[in-house]
Amino acid sequence: MTNSLRCPTRAEVVARVQAAGRRVAAVLPYHYPRALLRAHGFHPVEVWGPPGVPRDEGGRHFQAYTCDIVVRATSFLLRGGLDGVDAILVPHTCDALQGMGSVLGDFVRPTPPVLTLYLPRSRRPVDHEFLVAELRRLGEALAAISGRVPAPADWEAAFAAEDAADRALADLYARREGLAVTDREFYTVVRSREFLPAEDFVALAGSLAAGDPPGGVPVMLSGIVAEPLDLFDHLSAMGARVVADDLASGRRRVYPLQDGGDPHTRLATRLLGGPPDPTRGDPIAARARHLREQMGAAGARGLVIYDPKFCEPELFDVPLLRRHLSAAGLPVLHVEVELTGSLTQQTLTRLEAFVETLR
Amino acid sequence: MSRLGHLLGYRLAGRPLLRLQRRRDERRLDSLRSGPDRPLEPPLRSIARMKEMMSGHYLEGRHASGVRPVAWVTSGASTEILLTLGFFVIYPENHAALCGARRRAQHLCEVAEDAGYSRDICSYARTDLGALLSGETPVGRLPRPDLLLCCTNICQTVLYWYRVLADHFGCPLVLVDTPFQYGPQPQPHEVAYVRRQLEEIVPVAERVAGRPFSEQEFTAIVARAKEASETWLEILERARHRPSPLTAFDAFTHLGPIVDLRGEQATTDYYRGLLAEIDRRIAAGIGAVREERYRVLWDNLPIWYRIGPLSQWLAARGVNVVASTYAHAWGELAPLMDPLHPFESMARVYLHPILNRSAGQKLEAMRGMVDDFSADGVILHSDRSCKPYSLGQIDQRDGLVNQTGVPALLLEADHNDPRSFSEEQAASRLEAFVEMLGG
Repeated sequence: MTNSLRCPTRAEVVARVQAAGRRVAAVLPYHYPRALLRAHGFHPVEVWGPPGVPRDEGGRHFQAYTCDIVVRATSFLLRGGLDGVDAILVPHTCDALQGMGSVLGDFVRPTPPVLTLYLPRSRRPVDHEFLVAELRRLGEALAAISGRVPAPADWEAAFAAEDAADRALADLYARREGLAVTDREFYTVVRSREFLPAEDFVALAGSLAAGDPPGGVPVMLSGIVAEPLDLFDHLSAMGARVVADDLASGRRRVYPLQDGGDPHTRLATRLLGGPPDPTRGDPIAARARHLREQMGAAGARGLVIYDPKFCEPELFDVPLLRRHLSAAGLPVLHVEVELTGSLTQQTLTRLEAFVETLR
Repeated sequence: MSRLGHLLGYRLAGRPLLRLQRRRDERRLDSLRSGPDRPLEPPLRSIARMKEMMSGHYLEGRHASGVRPVAWVTSGASTEILLTLGFFVIYPENHAALCGARRRAQHLCEVAEDAGYSRDICSYARTDLGALLSGETPVGRLPRPDLLLCCTNICQTVLYWYRVLADHFGCPLVLVDTPFQYGPQPQPHEVAYVRRQLEEIVPVAERVAGRPFSEQEFTAIVARAKEASETWLEILERARHRPSPLTAFDAFTHLGPIVDLRGEQATTDYYRGLLAEIDRRIAAGIGAVREERYRVLWDNLPIWYRIGPLSQWLAARGVNVVASTYAHAWGELAPLMDPLHPFESMARVYLHPILNRSAGQKLEAMRGMVDDFSADGVILHSDRSCKPYSLGQIDQRDGLVNQTGVPALLLEADHNDPRSFSEEQAASRLEAFVEMLGG
């Protein structure tokens, strides 16, 4: 076990990056072009809530039926959690994040500028062409803040660093069965990609000790974000082990790498190349097939879909995923949680009962 | 058999029967008189023709399979292309609203929920999925689609919903993705993106329809759609008159043809007739609310299952809801339509509905409507089912109060699921709101 695993906090990273003279962009979930930000001199630090931040301030702008990530992220911003960042990037992931980008830009108007990125809902040539142009537009907005247009050498350096980190993330998943780490430790490292500089992430991912992982009933985790991380401790105590994931904060962002060519084209190809994803308009059957293949390869006996409340892109897929996977003998449990920092007894009981059925 | 059914059930028997029913309805409407005990004027007579048109549409739908290619489309989608190819078009959202207005939605939502669909997803989607799963619908039967056309300019929800439909029916799903407008004007790459997607509908739809696309016919249909939308806008603008000859609830009721049958000559003719009837009301000094004391703007979708009681309740207190951002959405884009440049102009049209524009632009639009319609207040329906329309309303309400000085109420409900509507809570909030209007 890697009990010595030491991962800095987001605040520590922000301070360190800024001390080194780089700008910081707070980024909302979940597809965005890291190399573009880096080439323009920005370091992305992702905001997934964060869990535990009260909804109060965010609740002054959004109704009770609004996604927890959006409400808590707004609270976090209004409490000064994003003070000092140079930009806030809100990718257009769903209607809730659309609302957040719009309300921040039009009404809250925080000190750092609010940038948006429209992500196309399909993967046709026309979507690719649009995304290339949209990334150029985002680049121009970043350049307007930083006063810096990347030179070819900046792009080269940015791609070199971010490709290495993306490769390290993909490699981490590939080596999953040969790492002597708990699920909590594994996902602590996976999720450190949300805020660590690429070089630090590569080093951290490479530091995990080889060996046999702990045993347990193999399950796959899908959904948005596995928060709180205590989830993994609970699953472990129940005798389960997460052997694969389809999390928005996890494997959905293992993109294929491209070499050379126009940087924006390269980034668009990468962003559109990820696995099936409900926010991208992929057919549900394709998503089910992907999940089935992943579960088969990892030996997962069941799927836990783990979502924050009011997540429409996820909710629509659940009945058909359940049907498609059940037909293949793979049971599905859907759990909705509030990002409060702890899990309710009801959620734990449902998880425990599900794990029991998989033994 | 299907052609025979279409001929007998729709053309030979159905349409004449509906005509007969319309005449009966018109006689009944003619016999209605206003009186001091009635806060609302009798409904506009044109409603009988509207019922005939919409019933005829759904009746044809029962017999459409095998006779005409059938497409299910979202309410913000570009149907002009499909009409050019002879498609029979069904709008699941309109069907869901109809189920809501006829108080059938809750049961259908529960059917969908029993199948695993969460109560937190859009109640239009749940209503329609419930109808799909149970086969129950107040319109008899919906034809199976040969093509699904989904445009994201009203929400992303429709894409999640249509993916479920595509899985269920196994037919092609064509997407028109419309980048959300954070700024006031679309960027050139956004217009080009939508235009190309509109053009790409053509070969898929041609294949399904089995006939070639005619540019000339398309231009004519866009011209008719433009004319109908302009007439619809004129109708809505008549509510600037004091007293207003119509209410927003009337507009919700008369919305069906502009959503479902836009581009057909009968729709343009129908709205011309409605406009003439409204003008006669104005000339006679008749207001839709007998004693119009306060004029109010409505934001967001209607509460379909409470339209009647709510309009009566408000009218009894002298409140006329004279305009709505929702009904305006099908008229305000008419000036952007250009039959001479159909693809380019339709790309701009389909990028520009109020639901695809930022919260700040929506506030701007509402402020303009408060002025244009001399509104004394605004009711913002905080619609649990429609996140893109509702998120931003808290700040919009504050903006309206601060910038226009009129009271604004956030009314919690749901457009189609009555379980998310509390009669008592709504009544007490509305009472307080009406008192503020008087203050």
